Amino acid sequence: MAFLEVKDLKVHFPIKGGILNRTIDHVRAVDGVTFEVEQGKTYGLVGESGSGKTTTGRAVIGLNHVTSGKVFYEGTDITKKQSKTKALRKDIQMIFQDPYSSLNPRKRVLDVIAEPLRNFEKLSKQEEKKRVQELLELVGLSPEAIVKYPHEFSGGQRQRIGVARAIALRPKLIIADEPVSALDVSVQAQVLNFMQDIQQELGLTYLFISHDLGIVKHMCDDIAIMYRGRYVEQGTRDDIFNNPQHIYTKRLVSAIPDINPRNREKQFHFREEVQREFEHSYDDYFDNEGLAYGLQPISGSHYVALPEKG
Amino acid sequence: METNNVNMDDQKQDATKSPSGFSIIWREFIKDKVALISLIFLVILTTLVYGVSLFLNQEEIVRVDLFAIHEPPSEEFILGTDYGGRDVFGQLIIGTRNSLSIGILVTLATGIIGVVYGVVAGYFGGQIDNVLMRILDFFLILPMIMTVIVFVTLVPDYGVITFSFIMTMFLWMGIARLIRSRALQEKELDYIQASKTLGSSHTKIIFTQLLPNITSLIVVTMTLNLAANIGLESGLSFLGFGFPESTPSLGTLLSYARNPQTLEFRWWIWLPAAILIFVLMLAVRNVGEALKRAADARQRRG
Repeated sequence: MAFLEVKDLKVHFPIKGGILNRTIDHVRAVDGVTFEVEQGKTYGLVGESGSGKTTTGRAVIGLNHVTSGKVFYEGTDITKKQSKTKALRKDIQMIFQDPYSSLNPRKRVLDVIAEPLRNFEKLSKQEEKKRVQELLELVGLSPEAIVKYPHEFSGGQRQRIGVARAIALRPKLIIADEPVSALDVSVQAQVLNFMQDIQQELGLTYLFISHDLGIVKHMCDDIAIMYRGRYVEQGTRDDIFNNPQHIYTKRLVSAIPDINPRNREKQFHFREEVQREFEHSYDDYFDNEGLAYGLQPISGSHYVALPEKG
Repeated sequence: METNNVNMDDQKQDATKSPSGFSIIWREFIKDKVALISLIFLVILTTLVYGVSLFLNQEEIVRVDLFAIHEPPSEEFILGTDYGGRDVFGQLIIGTRNSLSIGILVTLATGIIGVVYGVVAGYFGGQIDNVLMRILDFFLILPMIMTVIVFVTLVPDYGVITFSFIMTMFLWMGIARLIRSRALQEKELDYIQASKTLGSSHTKIIFTQLLPNITSLIVVTMTLNLAANIGLESGLSFLGFGFPESTPSLGTLLSYARNPQTLEFRWWIWLPAAILIFVLMLAVRNVGEALKRAADARQRRG
């Protein structure tokens, strides 16, 4: 029994139109996604914008309606309403993408971070204040910050307040939805390293959603590449970065910038080559509608979306 | 209650760091002299009207006195008398009180109904929203003047409460729609979603997350509505569908001007009421506009 198991998850949004506002078609934001996450590991979900990675994360925590498929958390199906218990809410938390809209502008930091504590733990005012201050220290903010409003902080500091709020209840699984995409590169490293530190300290499991392959390489044990709501390739970090099989993955990996200027020429040619291959063999990897095929196993951990015949 | 105390303490410590809502509003009024004068005028007028009317006897004022018909302003009657020999000044004071009471009562009632309705429709969305909005549409298409006429004819005892009720019935839809559209927008924001993942109940989210973020809209709309409601009351009374003469209001005083003789030769009966309606609505509007600017950082002058 895996810690978190997602089976054939589908999230479709209706497109309304025509006479009488009928449902004409569906946007298949997530179209049959299956994966497992082990406890204490970081699972990376990568894809371009609109590929359904955020929707997947939100569906797991229950913010989006699940069209079909199942999500098992420690063996219980959490897509059903009756299984969304308080304990479950406590165990799964989320770090939001946008540090500006994810904090209530009218609330002081104390109230923002104490919100989950007030919902789940009966603490006195003093204990609560102490806990919030501890959490702030943990994320590297000064304890005096509790009386300030969110707008008095920079983006990185706000994101850390968001992290502090997410870990306040000591959850087991954190869904990190592009936690550093809105931040400066200098601050990104801070937040990421901090996330790794608390992962070890608290034994956290991350579902890490990102479009930045460099960050994913730094953070994740297992990685899945998404394209238009489907998986393109799934495997360990090694599989994806050293042995990409799908042309889409190859293209993504080749696009990672190299800091060394001496390699610039080499990188350029490599990218051109990959681009030629992409154009040449596009039809081999995508079906008539331009969607990825079903996953085929390459090795024990490595799955690639290839047509049936292989 | 305890939370409030803690917050109050914090606010004192923090007053220099981030200006509170009240200091922003205050700065706006200091900058906008017209709004400040309007506010002062409103405060003085309200206290005066409610204070003085405590010492006035309404029954005595509205009692017909045939020996003092159409008296021009004199020492006994500061603003003269009307066709029933009734003291216009007394009627003006009580009338302003009644008009203001109606305005405030209707504004509060429409505000409460509208906010609750709009927030529920907007926050829950989906089918609930659909059903609530169709009910609202039904109220929107009711012909107001006609229903009010029927209501006035049917209800024998017509006073401040009944009149507020009938006005509220036709005026809560606007604010409900406005609040709904804001709630629809606001609930999609991440902080509301975050609250859900943190295990807060819907009621808690509505009261602690959603409402604080739309208070400015509520306050501004209700202030501007107050001016409109006072005007509407006067309009209805002028047409004869408002208060009876035994309950004076600014509108009933104004309606005496429907008599051409009064309009031309007896200015003291209707002119003070007309000026008061004009100034009152203007003042409330100025205050409302200042609040509106204070609520939006881009429009602030202070």
